[in-house]
Amino acid sequence: MAAALLAAHAYGQKIYSCRNVHLSFFSSAPLEDIEAKTDKGVSAINLETGAVYFKVPVNTFQFRKKLMQEHFNENYLETDKYPYAEFKGRLANPAALNGNGTYEVTVEGTLSIHGVDKTYREKGTITIQNGQLTSTSKFKVRLVDHKIKIPTLVIKNIAEVVDVTMQATYTLNAQK
Amino acid sequence: MKTICLLLISCSLCLAGRAQDLSKMFEDSAAVRQPVIGTFKSTRIIMGHSNETLKKHELDFRVAHRFGDIGGSFGGGKTAFGLDNSTDIRIAFEYGITDDLMVGISRAKGSGDLSQVFEGLAKYRVLKQTTDNQVPVSLSVFGNVTLSTMTSSADETAVSHFEEFTDRMTYVAQAIIARKFGDRLSLTLSPTYVHRNRVGYMDMNNMFALGGSGRIRLSKRLAFIAEYYYPFRSQSSKDYYKAQGIEFFNPLGAGLEIETGGHVFSVNFTNSTAILENQFIPETRASWLQGQFRWGFNISRRFSLFSKRDWKK
Repeated sequence: MAAALLAAHAYGQKIYSCRNVHLSFFSSAPLEDIEAKTDKGVSAINLETGAVYFKVPVNTFQFRKKLMQEHFNENYLETDKYPYAEFKGRLANPAALNGNGTYEVTVEGTLSIHGVDKTYREKGTITIQNGQLTSTSKFKVRLVDHKIKIPTLVIKNIAEVVDVTMQATYTLNAQK
Repeated sequence: MKTICLLLISCSLCLAGRAQDLSKMFEDSAAVRQPVIGTFKSTRIIMGHSNETLKKHELDFRVAHRFGDIGGSFGGGKTAFGLDNSTDIRIAFEYGITDDLMVGISRAKGSGDLSQVFEGLAKYRVLKQTTDNQVPVSLSVFGNVTLSTMTSSADETAVSHFEEFTDRMTYVAQAIIARKFGDRLSLTLSPTYVHRNRVGYMDMNNMFALGGSGRIRLSKRLAFIAEYYYPFRSQSSKDYYKAQGIEFFNPLGAGLEIETGGHVFSVNFTNSTAILENQFIPETRASWLQGQFRWGFNISRRFSLFSKRDWKK
Protein backbone atom coordinates (compact mmCIF):
# COMPACT_ATOMS: atom_id res chain seq x y z
CA MET A 1 0.00 0.00 0.00
CA ALA A 2 2.76 2.37 0.97
CA ALA A 3 4.41 1.70 -2.33
CA ALA A 4 1.23 2.49 -4.18
CA LEU A 5 0.79 5.71 -2.27
CA LEU A 6 4.36 6.73 -2.82
CA ALA A 7 4.02 5.96 -6.47
CA ALA A 8 0.88 8.05 -6.65
CA HIS A 9 2.53 10.92 -4.84
CA ALA A 10 5.58 10.73 -7.00
CA TYR A 11 3.46 11.68 -9.98
CA GLY A 12 1.96 14.57 -8.06
CA GLN A 13 -1.58 13.32 -8.51
CA LYS A 14 -4.47 15.01 -6.81
CA ILE A 15 -5.89 12.12 -4.84
CA TYR A 16 -8.66 12.83 -2.38
CA SER A 17 -9.65 10.16 0.08
CA CYS A 18 -12.35 9.56 2.66
CA ARG A 19 -12.58 6.84 5.29
CA ASN A 20 -16.05 7.54 6.62
CA VAL A 21 -18.30 7.55 3.61
CA HIS A 22 -21.94 7.73 4.68
CA LEU A 23 -24.14 5.35 2.78
CA SER A 24 -27.77 4.60 3.33
CA PHE A 25 -30.47 2.79 1.46
CA PHE A 26 -34.20 2.88 1.56
CA SER A 27 -36.68 0.28 0.42
CA SER A 28 -40.34 1.11 0.29
CA ALA A 29 -42.70 -1.84 -0.05
CA PRO A 30 -46.45 -2.13 0.58
CA LEU A 31 -46.03 -3.64 4.04
CA GLU A 32 -42.82 -2.14 5.26
CA ASP A 33 -40.27 0.62 4.77
CA ILE A 34 -36.76 -0.58 5.36
CA GLU A 35 -33.85 1.74 5.97
CA ALA A 36 -30.23 1.04 6.74
CA LYS A 37 -27.14 3.17 7.08
CA THR A 38 -23.41 2.96 7.57
CA ASP A 39 -20.55 5.40 7.86
CA LYS A 40 -17.86 2.77 7.32
CA GLY A 41 -17.42 3.21 3.60
CA VAL A 42 -14.10 4.27 2.09
CA SER A 43 -13.52 6.19 -1.10
CA ALA A 44 -10.89 7.89 -3.17
CA ILE A 45 -11.09 10.23 -6.13
CA ASN A 46 -8.21 11.07 -8.38
CA LEU A 47 -8.97 14.41 -9.98
CA GLU A 48 -6.17 14.07 -12.53
CA THR A 49 -7.35 10.81 -14.01
CA GLY A 50 -10.97 10.96 -12.96
CA ALA A 51 -10.71 7.60 -11.23
CA VAL A 52 -13.34 7.04 -8.55
CA TYR A 53 -13.31 4.24 -6.02
CA PHE A 54 -15.74 3.20 -3.30
CA LYS A 55 -15.77 0.25 -0.97
CA VAL A 56 -18.00 -0.62 1.97
CA PRO A 57 -18.13 -3.67 4.25
CA VAL A 58 -21.73 -4.73 3.67
CA ASN A 59 -22.22 -6.04 7.19
CA THR A 60 -21.66 -2.59 8.67
CA PHE A 61 -25.11 -1.46 7.54
CA GLN A 62 -27.25 -0.82 10.61
CA PHE A 63 -30.96 -1.53 10.51
CA ARG A 64 -33.78 -0.40 12.70
CA LYS A 65 -34.60 -4.03 13.42
CA LYS A 66 -31.68 -6.25 14.36
CA LEU A 67 -33.36 -9.38 13.09
CA MET A 68 -33.71 -7.71 9.71
CA GLN A 69 -30.00 -6.91 9.80
CA GLU A 70 -29.22 -10.58 10.41
CA HIS A 71 -31.45 -11.65 7.54
CA PHE A 72 -29.91 -8.99 5.29
CA ASN A 73 -26.45 -10.36 5.97
CA GLU A 74 -27.26 -14.04 6.02
CA ASN A 75 -30.06 -14.54 3.52
CA TYR A 76 -29.89 -11.71 1.04
CA LEU A 77 -26.41 -10.20 0.73
CA GLU A 78 -24.57 -13.31 2.00
CA THR A 79 -21.86 -11.18 3.53
CA ASP A 80 -19.84 -14.23 4.61
CA LYS A 81 -19.19 -14.92 0.94
CA TYR A 82 -19.33 -11.36 -0.38
CA PRO A 83 -18.15 -9.07 2.42
CA TYR A 84 -17.75 -5.89 0.35
CA ALA A 85 -19.65 -3.79 -2.09
CA GLU A 86 -17.22 -2.03 -4.39
CA PHE A 87 -17.38 0.57 -7.10
CA LYS A 88 -14.63 1.27 -9.61
CA GLY A 89 -15.31 3.96 -12.12
CA ARG A 90 -14.35 7.31 -13.45
CA LEU A 91 -15.64 10.80 -13.85
CA ALA A 92 -16.89 11.65 -17.31
CA ASN A 93 -15.07 14.97 -17.41
CA PRO A 94 -12.49 15.39 -14.62
CA ALA A 95 -10.90 18.39 -16.31
CA ALA A 96 -14.02 20.44 -15.53
CA LEU A 97 -13.35 20.18 -11.80
CA ASN A 98 -11.04 23.13 -11.74
CA GLY A 99 -10.77 25.10 -8.51
CA ASN A 100 -13.35 25.86 -5.84
CA GLY A 101 -16.96 25.32 -6.78
CA THR A 102 -19.84 22.90 -6.99
CA TYR A 103 -20.00 20.63 -9.98
CA GLU A 104 -22.64 18.30 -11.34
CA VAL A 105 -20.74 15.22 -12.40
CA THR A 106 -21.44 11.95 -14.12
CA VAL A 107 -19.66 8.83 -13.01
CA GLU A 108 -19.54 5.61 -14.94
CA GLY A 109 -18.18 2.35 -13.67
CA THR A 110 -18.74 -1.08 -12.27
CA LEU A 111 -20.57 -1.66 -9.03
CA SER A 112 -20.10 -5.04 -7.44
CA ILE A 113 -22.73 -6.07 -4.89
CA HIS A 114 -23.34 -9.63 -3.73
CA GLY A 115 -20.47 -10.70 -5.99
CA VAL A 116 -22.31 -9.56 -9.11
CA ASP A 117 -20.93 -6.74 -11.27
CA LYS A 118 -23.06 -4.27 -13.10
CA THR A 119 -22.21 -1.12 -15.02
CA TYR A 120 -23.77 2.04 -13.68
CA ARG A 121 -23.86 5.55 -15.05
CA GLU A 122 -25.00 7.90 -12.30
CA LYS A 123 -25.11 11.57 -11.54
CA GLY A 124 -23.65 13.19 -8.45
CA THR A 125 -22.38 16.43 -7.03
CA ILE A 126 -18.82 17.31 -6.15
CA THR A 127 -17.95 20.43 -4.18
CA ILE A 128 -14.37 21.60 -3.89
CA GLN A 129 -13.59 24.12 -1.18
CA ASN A 130 -9.99 24.92 -0.34
CA GLY A 131 -8.52 21.46 -0.52
CA GLN A 132 -11.64 19.77 0.84
CA LEU A 133 -13.87 17.83 -1.48
CA THR A 134 -17.38 16.64 -0.75
CA SER A 135 -19.45 14.40 -2.92
CA THR A 136 -23.05 13.28 -2.84
CA SER A 137 -25.04 10.98 -5.01
CA LYS A 138 -28.39 9.25 -5.13
CA PHE A 139 -29.00 6.27 -7.30
CA LYS A 140 -31.16 3.20 -7.58
CA VAL A 141 -30.09 -0.41 -7.27
CA ARG A 142 -32.30 -3.08 -8.73
CA LEU A 143 -31.91 -6.19 -6.54
CA VAL A 144 -32.35 -8.59 -9.43
CA ASP A 145 -29.33 -7.01 -11.19
CA HIS A 146 -27.14 -8.32 -8.38
CA LYS A 147 -28.87 -11.69 -8.05
CA ILE A 148 -30.35 -10.78 -4.66
CA LYS A 149 -33.41 -12.98 -4.45
CA ILE A 150 -36.52 -11.96 -2.58
CA PRO A 151 -38.74 -14.94 -1.72
CA THR A 152 -42.37 -14.52 -2.74
CA LEU A 153 -43.28 -14.85 0.93
CA VAL A 154 -41.80 -11.44 1.76
CA ILE A 155 -42.31 -9.76 -1.61
CA LYS A 156 -44.64 -7.26 0.03
CA ASN A 157 -41.99 -6.39 2.63
CA ILE A 158 -38.99 -5.74 0.42
CA ALA A 159 -38.90 -3.43 -2.59
CA GLU A 160 -37.38 -4.65 -5.85
CA VAL A 161 -35.52 -1.38 -6.29
CA VAL A 162 -33.81 0.37 -3.42
CA ASP A 163 -32.70 3.99 -3.28
CA VAL A 164 -29.10 4.46 -2.26
CA THR A 165 -27.74 7.74 -0.92
CA MET A 166 -24.03 8.48 -0.60
CA GLN A 167 -22.33 11.38 1.11
CA ALA A 168 -18.59 11.74 1.64
CA THR A 169 -16.14 14.38 2.76
CA TYR A 170 -12.63 13.94 1.37
CA THR A 171 -9.30 15.35 2.25
CA LEU A 172 -6.44 15.81 -0.13
CA ASN A 173 -3.78 13.22 0.50
CA ALA A 174 -0.63 14.89 1.75
CA GLN A 175 1.99 15.39 -0.94
CA LYS A 176 5.49 14.31 -0.13
CA MET B 1 7.77 20.96 -18.78
CA LYS B 2 8.55 18.74 -15.87
CA THR B 3 4.89 18.55 -14.83
CA ILE B 4 3.75 17.72 -18.34
CA CYS B 5 6.27 14.93 -18.45
CA LEU B 6 5.08 13.59 -15.14
CA LEU B 7 1.48 13.88 -16.20
CA LEU B 8 2.16 11.92 -19.35
CA ILE B 9 3.93 9.19 -17.43
CA SER B 10 1.27 9.06 -14.77
CA CYS B 11 -1.55 8.96 -17.28
CA SER B 12 0.03 6.21 -19.30
CA LEU B 13 0.62 4.20 -16.16
CA CYS B 14 -2.84 4.90 -14.85
CA LEU B 15 -4.61 3.86 -17.99
CA ALA B 16 -3.68 0.31 -17.11
CA GLY B 17 -4.30 0.34 -13.41
CA ARG B 18 -6.20 3.49 -12.58
CA ALA B 19 -8.90 2.05 -10.31
CA GLN B 20 -6.61 -0.56 -8.83
CA ASP B 21 -4.30 2.16 -7.60
CA LEU B 22 -7.09 3.72 -5.60
CA SER B 23 -8.33 0.41 -4.23
CA LYS B 24 -4.82 -0.32 -2.93
CA MET B 25 -5.10 2.69 -0.65
CA PHE B 26 -7.65 0.82 1.44
CA GLU B 27 -6.19 -2.64 1.62
CA ASP B 28 -5.40 -2.19 5.28
CA SER B 29 -9.10 -1.98 6.06
CA ALA B 30 -9.76 -5.35 4.48
CA ALA B 31 -8.91 -7.84 7.19
CA VAL B 32 -11.33 -7.02 9.97
CA ARG B 33 -12.31 -9.73 12.40
CA GLN B 34 -16.03 -10.41 12.32
CA PRO B 35 -18.23 -12.46 14.60
CA VAL B 36 -19.93 -15.38 12.89
CA ILE B 37 -23.65 -14.72 12.59
CA GLY B 38 -26.61 -17.03 12.40
CA THR B 39 -25.10 -20.16 13.95
CA PHE B 40 -28.70 -21.01 14.74
CA LYS B 41 -31.89 -19.36 13.57
CA SER B 42 -33.48 -19.34 16.97
CA THR B 43 -32.62 -19.28 20.65
CA ARG B 44 -33.75 -22.93 20.81
CA ILE B 45 -32.77 -25.95 18.80
CA ILE B 46 -35.55 -28.49 19.44
CA MET B 47 -35.64 -29.20 23.15
CA GLY B 48 -32.77 -27.17 24.49
CA HIS B 49 -31.07 -23.85 23.97
CA SER B 50 -28.82 -22.81 21.14
CA ASN B 51 -25.99 -20.33 21.65
CA GLU B 52 -28.07 -17.53 20.13
CA THR B 53 -29.60 -14.77 22.20
CA LEU B 54 -32.15 -12.12 21.36
CA LYS B 55 -30.77 -8.78 20.31
CA LYS B 56 -31.27 -5.67 22.42
CA HIS B 57 -34.92 -4.68 22.82
CA GLU B 58 -36.23 -7.71 20.96
CA LEU B 59 -39.26 -9.48 22.33
CA ASP B 60 -39.71 -13.12 21.44
CA PHE B 61 -43.14 -14.64 21.89
CA ARG B 62 -42.78 -18.41 21.92
CA VAL B 63 -45.27 -21.22 21.89
CA ALA B 64 -44.15 -24.82 22.13
CA HIS B 65 -46.30 -27.88 22.04
CA ARG B 66 -45.64 -31.60 22.43
CA PHE B 67 -48.39 -34.02 21.45
CA GLY B 68 -49.17 -37.54 22.62
CA ASP B 69 -47.44 -40.76 21.59
CA ILE B 70 -47.63 -41.44 17.87
CA GLY B 71 -47.36 -45.21 18.34
CA GLY B 72 -47.51 -47.65 21.23
CA SER B 73 -50.54 -48.28 23.41
CA PHE B 74 -51.48 -44.57 23.69
CA GLY B 75 -50.98 -43.76 20.04
CA GLY B 76 -52.26 -45.03 16.75
CA GLY B 77 -55.40 -44.13 14.84
CA LYS B 78 -57.65 -43.84 17.88
CA THR B 79 -55.81 -40.71 19.12
CA ALA B 80 -55.08 -39.49 15.58
CA PHE B 81 -51.46 -40.51 16.23
CA GLY B 82 -51.17 -38.44 19.37
CA LEU B 83 -52.94 -35.32 18.12
CA ASP B 84 -55.70 -35.66 20.69
CA ASN B 85 -53.27 -35.43 23.57
CA SER B 86 -50.82 -32.78 24.60
CA THR B 87 -48.07 -33.85 26.92
CA ASP B 88 -46.67 -30.37 27.40
CA ILE B 89 -47.40 -26.81 26.35
CA ARG B 90 -45.19 -23.82 26.99
CA ILE B 91 -45.91 -20.16 26.38
CA ALA B 92 -43.11 -17.69 26.91
CA PHE B 93 -42.11 -14.09 26.63
CA GLU B 94 -38.41 -13.58 26.25
CA TYR B 95 -36.58 -10.31 25.91
CA GLY B 96 -33.15 -9.03 24.93
CA ILE B 97 -31.72 -6.61 27.48
CA THR B 98 -28.50 -6.17 25.54
CA ASP B 99 -27.31 -7.81 22.34
CA ASP B 100 -25.77 -10.54 24.49
CA LEU B 101 -28.09 -10.88 27.48
CA MET B 102 -31.64 -12.13 27.38
CA VAL B 103 -34.19 -12.98 30.05
CA GLY B 104 -37.58 -14.64 29.92
CA ILE B 105 -40.60 -15.86 31.77
CA SER B 106 -42.75 -18.78 30.80
CA ARG B 107 -45.57 -20.99 31.86
CA ALA B 108 -45.50 -24.66 31.04
CA LYS B 109 -48.08 -27.32 31.59
CA GLY B 110 -45.20 -29.54 32.66
CA SER B 111 -44.70 -33.22 32.08
CA GLY B 112 -43.05 -35.36 34.71
CA ASP B 113 -43.10 -35.40 38.48
CA LEU B 114 -44.28 -31.80 38.70
CA SER B 115 -46.66 -29.85 36.53
CA GLN B 116 -48.12 -26.32 36.31
CA VAL B 117 -44.76 -24.68 36.13
CA PHE B 118 -43.58 -21.08 35.98
CA GLU B 119 -40.08 -20.50 34.70
CA GLY B 120 -37.68 -17.59 34.83
CA LEU B 121 -34.59 -17.76 32.64
CA ALA B 122 -31.51 -15.86 31.60
CA LYS B 123 -28.92 -16.49 28.91
CA TYR B 124 -25.70 -14.67 28.22
CA ARG B 125 -23.38 -14.82 25.24
CA VAL B 126 -19.85 -15.08 26.58
CA LEU B 127 -17.88 -15.76 23.41
CA LYS B 128 -18.59 -15.30 19.74
CA GLN B 129 -16.90 -17.39 17.09
CA THR B 130 -15.02 -15.17 14.65
CA THR B 131 -14.64 -15.46 10.90
CA ASP B 132 -10.85 -15.57 11.17
CA ASN B 133 -11.05 -18.49 13.66
CA GLN B 134 -9.18 -16.51 16.30
CA VAL B 135 -12.14 -17.51 18.48
CA PRO B 136 -13.04 -20.98 17.17
CA VAL B 137 -16.31 -21.49 19.07
CA SER B 138 -19.19 -19.52 20.49
CA LEU B 139 -20.07 -19.94 24.14
CA SER B 140 -23.27 -19.01 25.90
CA VAL B 141 -24.42 -19.75 29.43
CA PHE B 142 -28.02 -20.40 30.34
CA GLY B 143 -29.76 -20.74 33.68
CA ASN B 144 -33.32 -21.04 34.83
CA VAL B 145 -35.48 -21.46 37.93
CA THR B 146 -38.86 -23.16 37.85
CA LEU B 147 -41.68 -23.10 40.32
CA SER B 148 -44.54 -25.57 40.32
CA THR B 149 -47.88 -24.11 41.33
CA MET B 150 -49.68 -27.45 41.58
CA THR B 151 -51.63 -28.36 44.70
CA SER B 152 -49.47 -30.21 47.18
CA SER B 153 -50.25 -33.92 47.19
CA ALA B 154 -51.70 -35.42 50.36
CA ASP B 155 -49.47 -38.46 49.81
CA GLU B 156 -46.33 -37.64 51.76
CA THR B 157 -44.19 -39.94 49.63
CA ALA B 158 -45.21 -38.24 46.39
CA VAL B 159 -42.75 -35.89 44.71
CA SER B 160 -45.57 -33.39 44.46
CA HIS B 161 -46.04 -33.34 48.24
CA PHE B 162 -44.48 -30.04 49.22
CA GLU B 163 -43.31 -29.69 52.82
CA GLU B 164 -41.66 -26.40 52.04
CA PHE B 165 -42.08 -23.78 49.38
CA THR B 166 -38.63 -24.54 47.92
CA ASP B 167 -39.75 -28.13 47.26
CA ARG B 168 -41.62 -26.67 44.31
CA MET B 169 -38.44 -25.39 42.67
CA THR B 170 -35.92 -26.77 40.21
CA TYR B 171 -32.88 -25.24 38.51
CA VAL B 172 -30.82 -25.70 35.39
CA ALA B 173 -27.37 -24.34 34.58
CA GLN B 174 -25.94 -24.95 31.15
CA ALA B 175 -23.02 -23.96 28.96
CA ILE B 176 -23.66 -24.07 25.23
CA ILE B 177 -20.58 -24.44 23.08
CA ALA B 178 -21.35 -23.96 19.42
CA ARG B 179 -19.52 -23.79 16.15
CA LYS B 180 -20.65 -23.00 12.67
CA PHE B 181 -18.78 -24.92 9.98
CA GLY B 182 -19.09 -23.10 6.68
CA ASP B 183 -22.53 -21.72 6.00
CA ARG B 184 -24.48 -24.97 6.19
CA LEU B 185 -23.53 -26.88 9.33
CA SER B 186 -23.74 -25.85 12.99
CA LEU B 187 -23.00 -28.08 15.97
CA THR B 188 -23.33 -27.67 19.72
CA LEU B 189 -22.16 -29.40 22.86
CA SER B 190 -23.96 -28.48 26.07
CA PRO B 191 -22.71 -29.61 29.49
CA THR B 192 -25.75 -29.26 31.73
CA TYR B 193 -26.52 -29.44 35.42
CA VAL B 194 -30.05 -30.02 36.72
CA HIS B 195 -30.99 -29.57 40.35
CA ARG B 196 -34.40 -30.56 41.65
CA ASN B 197 -35.11 -29.74 45.28
CA ARG B 198 -37.56 -32.58 45.74
CA VAL B 199 -37.27 -35.90 43.96
CA GLY B 200 -38.62 -39.42 44.47
CA TYR B 201 -36.84 -42.08 46.53
CA MET B 202 -33.57 -43.12 44.85
CA ASP B 203 -33.94 -40.37 42.27
CA MET B 204 -31.17 -37.76 42.05
CA ASN B 205 -31.39 -34.17 43.28
CA ASN B 206 -28.31 -33.29 41.25
CA MET B 207 -27.85 -34.59 37.79
CA PHE B 208 -25.33 -33.82 35.10
CA ALA B 209 -26.06 -34.27 31.43
CA LEU B 210 -24.36 -33.67 28.12
CA GLY B 211 -26.36 -32.35 25.22
CA GLY B 212 -25.38 -32.33 21.58
CA SER B 213 -27.13 -30.93 18.57
CA GLY B 214 -26.73 -30.15 14.92
CA ARG B 215 -28.33 -28.03 12.28
CA ILE B 216 -27.91 -28.53 8.55
CA ARG B 217 -29.13 -25.76 6.34
CA LEU B 218 -31.02 -27.25 3.41
CA SER B 219 -31.94 -23.92 1.86
CA LYS B 220 -32.02 -20.30 3.00
CA ARG B 221 -35.32 -20.90 4.75
CA LEU B 222 -35.23 -24.55 5.70
CA ALA B 223 -32.93 -26.50 7.98
CA PHE B 224 -32.76 -30.00 9.40
CA ILE B 225 -32.16 -30.07 13.14
CA ALA B 226 -31.41 -32.86 15.58
CA GLU B 227 -30.69 -32.87 19.28
CA TYR B 228 -29.70 -35.44 21.90
CA TYR B 229 -29.13 -35.40 25.64
CA TYR B 230 -27.22 -37.93 27.67
CA PRO B 231 -28.18 -37.67 31.37
CA PHE B 232 -25.68 -39.17 33.81
CA ARG B 233 -28.10 -41.10 36.02
CA SER B 234 -26.37 -43.33 38.56
CA GLN B 235 -26.49 -47.08 38.05
CA SER B 236 -28.08 -47.62 41.48
CA SER B 237 -30.88 -45.22 40.62
CA LYS B 238 -31.41 -46.87 37.23
CA ASP B 239 -31.49 -50.31 38.84
CA TYR B 240 -33.92 -49.27 41.53
CA TYR B 241 -36.37 -47.77 39.06
CA LYS B 242 -36.02 -50.68 36.68
CA ALA B 243 -37.08 -52.99 39.53
CA GLN B 244 -40.18 -50.79 39.85
CA GLY B 245 -40.85 -51.23 36.15
CA ILE B 246 -39.73 -47.70 35.28
CA GLU B 247 -37.09 -47.13 32.68
CA PHE B 248 -35.47 -43.82 31.72
CA PHE B 249 -34.51 -42.96 28.17
CA ASN B 250 -32.23 -40.37 26.67
CA PRO B 251 -34.08 -37.50 24.99
CA LEU B 252 -33.65 -37.46 21.23
CA GLY B 253 -35.33 -35.12 18.79
CA ALA B 254 -35.22 -34.43 15.07
CA GLY B 255 -37.11 -31.92 13.01
CA LEU B 256 -37.31 -29.26 10.38
CA GLU B 257 -36.89 -25.56 11.00
CA ILE B 258 -38.55 -23.02 8.73
CA GLU B 259 -37.75 -19.34 8.88
CA THR B 260 -40.13 -16.78 7.44
CA GLY B 261 -38.91 -13.31 8.27
CA GLY B 262 -39.90 -12.65 11.90
CA HIS B 263 -41.10 -16.20 12.54
CA VAL B 264 -39.13 -19.35 13.16
CA PHE B 265 -41.26 -22.43 13.03
CA SER B 266 -39.91 -25.82 13.95
CA VAL B 267 -41.77 -29.06 13.48
CA ASN B 268 -40.14 -31.88 15.32
CA PHE B 269 -40.34 -35.39 16.66
CA THR B 270 -39.12 -36.22 20.16
CA ASN B 271 -39.42 -39.06 22.58
CA SER B 272 -39.31 -36.62 25.50
CA THR B 273 -42.72 -35.41 26.62
CA ALA B 274 -41.60 -32.33 28.54
CA ILE B 275 -40.43 -29.00 27.14
CA LEU B 276 -38.38 -27.66 30.05
CA GLU B 277 -34.80 -28.92 30.54
CA ASN B 278 -35.60 -29.36 34.24
CA GLN B 279 -37.94 -32.18 33.24
CA PHE B 280 -36.94 -33.70 29.94
CA ILE B 281 -33.34 -34.30 31.00
CA PRO B 282 -33.97 -36.30 34.20
CA GLU B 283 -37.52 -37.54 33.65
CA THR B 284 -37.88 -38.82 30.08
CA ARG B 285 -39.50 -42.23 30.27
CA ALA B 286 -40.68 -42.57 26.70
CA SER B 287 -38.83 -44.65 24.16
CA TRP B 288 -38.53 -44.09 20.44
CA LEU B 289 -38.33 -47.83 19.90
CA GLN B 290 -41.70 -48.39 21.55
CA GLY B 291 -43.45 -45.83 19.38
CA GLN B 292 -43.45 -43.36 22.25
CA PHE B 293 -42.39 -40.41 20.22
CA ARG B 294 -44.50 -37.48 19.32
CA TRP B 295 -44.62 -34.61 17.00
CA GLY B 296 -44.31 -31.16 18.39
CA PHE B 297 -43.72 -27.62 17.30
CA ASN B 298 -41.93 -24.52 18.47
CA ILE B 299 -43.08 -21.18 17.16
CA SER B 300 -41.05 -18.05 17.71
CA ARG B 301 -42.24 -14.61 16.76
CA ARG B 302 -39.76 -11.80 17.29
CA PHE B 303 -40.72 -8.16 17.67
CA SER B 304 -38.34 -5.22 17.71
CA LEU B 305 -39.41 -2.89 20.50
CA PHE B 306 -38.29 0.73 20.77
CA SER B 307 -36.69 0.35 17.36
CA LYS B 308 -37.66 3.84 16.25
CA ARG B 309 -36.17 5.37 19.36
CA ASP B 310 -32.98 3.28 19.16
CA TRP B 311 -32.61 4.13 15.49
CA LYS B 312 -32.52 7.87 16.08
CA LYS B 313 -29.58 7.60 18.46
